Amino acid sequence: MRRHLGAIVAVLTGVAACSLGFVPVLAGGQAAGRSSAPLTDGGKDAGKQAAGPIPRTVDGKPDLSGIWDTPKAPGSRGGGATVFDKARMAPFRPGGEALFYEPRTGDPRKDEPRAFCMPSGFPSAFLGPYPIQIVQNQKNLVMVTEFMRVTRLIPLDGRAHLKDIEPTFYGDPVGRWEGDTLVIDATNYKRWSLDDWYYQNPKEYRMHTDAFHTIERLRRTDANTISYQFTVDDPKIFTAPWSVDWEMKLHPEWEKTGLYEMVCQENNRCEGGNCRK
Amino acid sequence: MRAHLGVMVGGLWMVMAVAPAVAHHSFAAEYDNSKPLKVTGVVTKIEWTNPHIWFFVDVKDENGNVTNWGFSGGPPGVLQRRGITKNALKAGDTIVVEGFRARDGSNNGSGGVVTFPDGRRVFTASAEDALPKSDK
Repeated sequence: MRRHLGAIVAVLTGVAACSLGFVPVLAGGQAAGRSSAPLTDGGKDAGKQAAGPIPRTVDGKPDLSGIWDTPKAPGSRGGGATVFDKARMAPFRPGGEALFYEPRTGDPRKDEPRAFCMPSGFPSAFLGPYPIQIVQNQKNLVMVTEFMRVTRLIPLDGRAHLKDIEPTFYGDPVGRWEGDTLVIDATNYKRWSLDDWYYQNPKEYRMHTDAFHTIERLRRTDANTISYQFTVDDPKIFTAPWSVDWEMKLHPEWEKTGLYEMVCQENNRCEGGNCRK
Repeated sequence: MRAHLGVMVGGLWMVMAVAPAVAHHSFAAEYDNSKPLKVTGVVTKIEWTNPHIWFFVDVKDENGNVTNWGFSGGPPGVLQRRGITKNALKAGDTIVVEGFRARDGSNNGSGGVVTFPDGRRVFTASAEDALPKSDK
């Protein structure tokens, strides 16, 4: 009977959590880890595709195509947003801390421009709890996040970075293969928020500078998993590059509908804290 | 034993009711998590639109005065992927909404949890409970 009761409660818990997408909260009110939040539909079917050889394109490269959950710490389930952990960062160079932490001013247009539908920037736009679709051929890899349908077009032909262009929110990414690892190197960012909006320190927010340089190393370790190492190199702020290790999980069940449209400007009713009727 | 099971399941609903969801902006910029809100009323309008759905509820006070409140929920796509469609909520439904008031003091808020008379709870709103600890 006790075993039966346990099974009923477990089933109810699972059904409720999956169907509602609610996040279990630990005693004391601390969310049980954003990374475990099933905000992109619980991730309940992730990893159910039979493990086996990784798919490859006609030229023999690993094929990363598919719809994936947002990158986050290995072992995390669900679709919580990812915020950089300060413990992983390199020490600040002199003056770097002042460039990194920018005090909030109380003016939402300055403090949270994303509330006014300004771009999230990279990697922020790709760290929120939204699916990411990858489409790949021999010449290009395209990454699209459902979040505002932000798109990265990454050439794979070995070209160099563009020179003498204006810095941008999403930078200038170029890709190359090192064996089975795709390396995406991006520069030419404008100074902008580093984190996903989940970083909500009320006193300040965290920025990168225009020297921001990102190196991503993506390797499909099995049919359902991409190992994703993300390196931050910002020599105006840090004494050395530093890295975090994430993974992305494949969600074949999301192929049925694909990515949904998300348009910020359509009905942004409480823009910057002023709700309109 | 049956009563015990009821308490346990009730408890599960309670802990899951505090529901962070998904926004395109900082929750703190628009809503005040020191001002929780719980109202009962009748749905008057639904806007199933990006970047967040909105639904509006007529709430009657003890003197019979009616105020129309607006509540934001998650993005339509996120809800749809969970199986929650625009038909989940209809004008005329009586619901209980729990959330937090808008910072501007208007009759708006985040609609974190919606409860129907039969006990069903659906929708989530902004990420009031997903605040990461400060790293400083």
